[in-house]
Amino acid sequence: MTRSLTLVLLLAAGAAVALRWPGLDRRPMHNDEAVNAVKFGQLWEHKGYRYDPNEHHGPSLFYATLALERLTAAPDIDHYTDARLRLVTVLFGLALLPLLPLLLDGLGRNGIIWAAILTATSPALVFYSRYFIHEIFLVLFTFLALAAGWRYWRSRRLGWILLAGIAIGLMAATKETFVITLAAAGIAIGLNQVWNRLLDASGPLEKAAPINWWHVGAAAFACLVTAVLLFSSFFANPGGPLDAIRTYEPWIHRAAGASPHIHPWFFYLQRLLFFHVAGAPVWTEALIFVLAIIGAIAGFRRRRLAGANASFVRFLALYVFLLTAFYSLLAYKTPWCLLSFWHGAVLLAGVGAAVLGRTAPSRYWRLGIAAMLLAGAAHLSWQSCLANTTYASDPRNPYVYAQTLPDVFRLVNQLEGLAKVDPNGHKLLVKVMAPEGDYWPLPWYLRRFEQTGWWENVPDDPFAPVMVVSAKLHAGLDEKKTHLMIGYFQLRPELFFELYVQRDLWQEWLAHKPVSAE
Amino acid sequence: MGFPVTFFVGLALAGSILIQSATAADAGSGDQVPLMIKLPAPAFKGTPKDIQLSSYVEPLSDKPRPPMMVPAGLKNIAPSAKITCSDKNATADTLAKIVDGDKEASEQSIIYLRKGTQWVQMDFGSPQDIFAVVIWHAHNSAKVYHDVIVQIADDQDFLQNVKTIFNNDQDNTSGLGVGTDREFFEIHEGKLIDTKGVTARYIRFYSKGSTESALNEYTEIEVYGRQAK
Repeated sequence: MTRSLTLVLLLAAGAAVALRWPGLDRRPMHNDEAVNAVKFGQLWEHKGYRYDPNEHHGPSLFYATLALERLTAAPDIDHYTDARLRLVTVLFGLALLPLLPLLLDGLGRNGIIWAAILTATSPALVFYSRYFIHEIFLVLFTFLALAAGWRYWRSRRLGWILLAGIAIGLMAATKETFVITLAAAGIAIGLNQVWNRLLDASGPLEKAAPINWWHVGAAAFACLVTAVLLFSSFFANPGGPLDAIRTYEPWIHRAAGASPHIHPWFFYLQRLLFFHVAGAPVWTEALIFVLAIIGAIAGFRRRRLAGANASFVRFLALYVFLLTAFYSLLAYKTPWCLLSFWHGAVLLAGVGAAVLGRTAPSRYWRLGIAAMLLAGAAHLSWQSCLANTTYASDPRNPYVYAQTLPDVFRLVNQLEGLAKVDPNGHKLLVKVMAPEGDYWPLPWYLRRFEQTGWWENVPDDPFAPVMVVSAKLHAGLDEKKTHLMIGYFQLRPELFFELYVQRDLWQEWLAHKPVSAE
Repeated sequence: MGFPVTFFVGLALAGSILIQSATAADAGSGDQVPLMIKLPAPAFKGTPKDIQLSSYVEPLSDKPRPPMMVPAGLKNIAPSAKITCSDKNATADTLAKIVDGDKEASEQSIIYLRKGTQWVQMDFGSPQDIFAVVIWHAHNSAKVYHDVIVQIADDQDFLQNVKTIFNNDQDNTSGLGVGTDREFFEIHEGKLIDTKGVTARYIRFYSKGSTESALNEYTEIEVYGRQAK
C-alpha cells in the first residue's frame, strides 16, 4: 500500500468518525435498540443470554458488546448511556474501512480510495452505524468473509479461508438473513465462473491453483465451531444451535407476509434514490447507484478498469444485483435490511468512480471529474449530518422507521423528578400498561426504577403512586380523584401515554420543582 | 416415627418458631422498609409497525362528541375580532387565517408561531357573552398541545379582571398558574370548551408547542357568543 493511499484512507476514516461519533445520545432508543440494550444488560449483570428463535436475532451483538465493555471497564448497567452502547456499532461501522486494502487487487487502488470515501459518507451506512442493532455487524462480517475469501482465491493460503469460515459463522450468529447473502454470493460465484469460461474471450482466464478441499472442510469446521459457540451461549444453552435452525419457521412466515412490515418491491430503492416528504430535504444516494452501474458495466466489458480485477468486479456486480433483487422481492421489509446490498453497491461504486477517472481525455478533465465526485461525497455527508441531527427521529428521514420520539425524554425526566421528591426514590412503585407490550423503549429508560411492573392491559388493581398508561386503554384512572392525569406523552407517531400521579406526590413535586428558566 | 423423620419435623418446628419470633421482633421494632413486590417483567417486543405521516387522524375516542347546549341565536364572533399575537413575526394577513373558516389539516390552513409559550388574542370591540370556544391547533397528525390556556380580561394587556377559563398546564411551566384541565388530542373536531357565558371583551389563547414540535400551530379558532346586555 502506497503512502498516498494510506493518507487518503486515513482522511476517509477521519470523515467517517466525524459523521458517526458526535451526538450519539440525541436520538431516543428505538424499540429494537432498547430490547437489545436490555438483553445486553442481563448478560452484563451475569444473568446470561439465551438465543430466542422467534425474534431479536443472533448473539454476536451481545457478546461483542460484552467483550468491548469488559476491555474498557464499563460502568454498571444503570449508569450506561445510549451513546456508550451505540459506540459499539459505530466501531463496527468504522471497521469497514481498514478492511478495504484486502481488496486492493480486486477493486484497484483508485477503486479502494473512492469506496472508502463513499463508505465514510453514505447516509445509510452512517445512520445505521449509530444504531444499536445487528445490521452493521452483519455488513462487517459479510465484508470480512468476502475479503478473506478473495484473498484465499488469490493465494490459496489456509489462514484466509479459515478467516472466511469464522466470518461466515459470525454472520450466522448475527442475523438470520445471512442465508440470503450466502445464496446471492453462491449464485454470483457460479454465474461469474460461467461467464469467465464461456463469454469472456477478450482476455486470458485467470489461472489459479486448484481448490484444496481439505481447506474448505477446515473452513466449514471453523464456521460451525464459531456459530455453535455463540448460539449455545458458550455451552450454557445446549439447545441454542438447534434453535438457530428452528428460527427459520417463524421468519419464513414473516417473509411471506405475516408481519406489519410488508412493503412494495421498490421500498428500498425509493428510500435510497429519491425520498421526499413536504417540509424536508430531498434525500438521495443516487450518486452511489449510478457509479455502481458504471462499475458493473466496466467489469462486464473489461475496459478502463483502472487496476480492478474484471472477474472480481463482475462477481460483485452479480452479487449486488441478486442481493438487491432478493431483498426487494421479499414482502417483509425494514429499511435497515438495505444495508447488506448497499454496502456491496458502495464497493462497486468505488470501481465506477475510478473508471470515470480513466475515461477522462486529459489531466484537467480528470481533476474536474474528481472535483465533481468530491462534491457528490460532500452532498452525501451533508445528508448524513441532517439525518443524524435535525431529522434523527423524524419520519421524513428515509432511514427513520417506527422510531421513538424525543417526547420520551420528557416522560423519563418527569419520572426522575418524581423519584427525587418521593421518599422511596427509585424504589417508587411504577405501573406501566400498554396493549401488546407496546411500551418499549421504556424498560430501558426506566431500568433504575426497581419497582416497575409491566402489563398488557389494566390489571385488577392498577393503582400505584405513578402509572404510565397507553391512551389506547382509555383507563381514566383519575376518576376517583386520588390521582391526576398530568399529561400525554408521545412515544411514537400516534402512540400516546397518559401519566397518572398520586395527588399528594404531585403536590410534593410541584412544591420542589425547579424554577423554569423562561 | 423413625429418628430421621423426628429430626426433620423438630427442625421445621424450631425454624418456624424462630421465623415467627423474628417477624414479631421486626414488627415491634417500628423500622419501616419499602414493601418489595414482585412485579411482571417487560415482555420483549419485535419491531413495531411504522406509522406513515397522514393528513387524516381518527379520533382516539370512538364515541361521538355529545352536543353542547347553548342559548339560541349565538354566532361565531371571532371573524369580526381584531387579532394580535405574541409572535412579532406574524403579520395581520397571517393571523387572519385563524378565523377564515378553513379548518382543514393541510399545510396551507395552518399558521406557525415561534417556540415557547405563545398567545393569540382577540379583541371583540365591546364586551361579549361567550358560551363556547373551539380550537384547532393542527390535526394533520395525532399530537397533543402543551400548556393550552384560555383567559379573558377587560384590557388588552391582561391586567384587569383576568379570568382563566381553561388551563391544562399542570406543571405551571408557562407560569400562569397550575392547570387542572386535561390535555387533549388534536383531532378534526377541534377542542370544544364550555365557557358558560362569561362576559369579556378580550380573550387569549396560549400554547407551548406539542408532542410533535416546539413550534405553535394554529388552524382555526371559533368563539360563540353574543353582545353583552
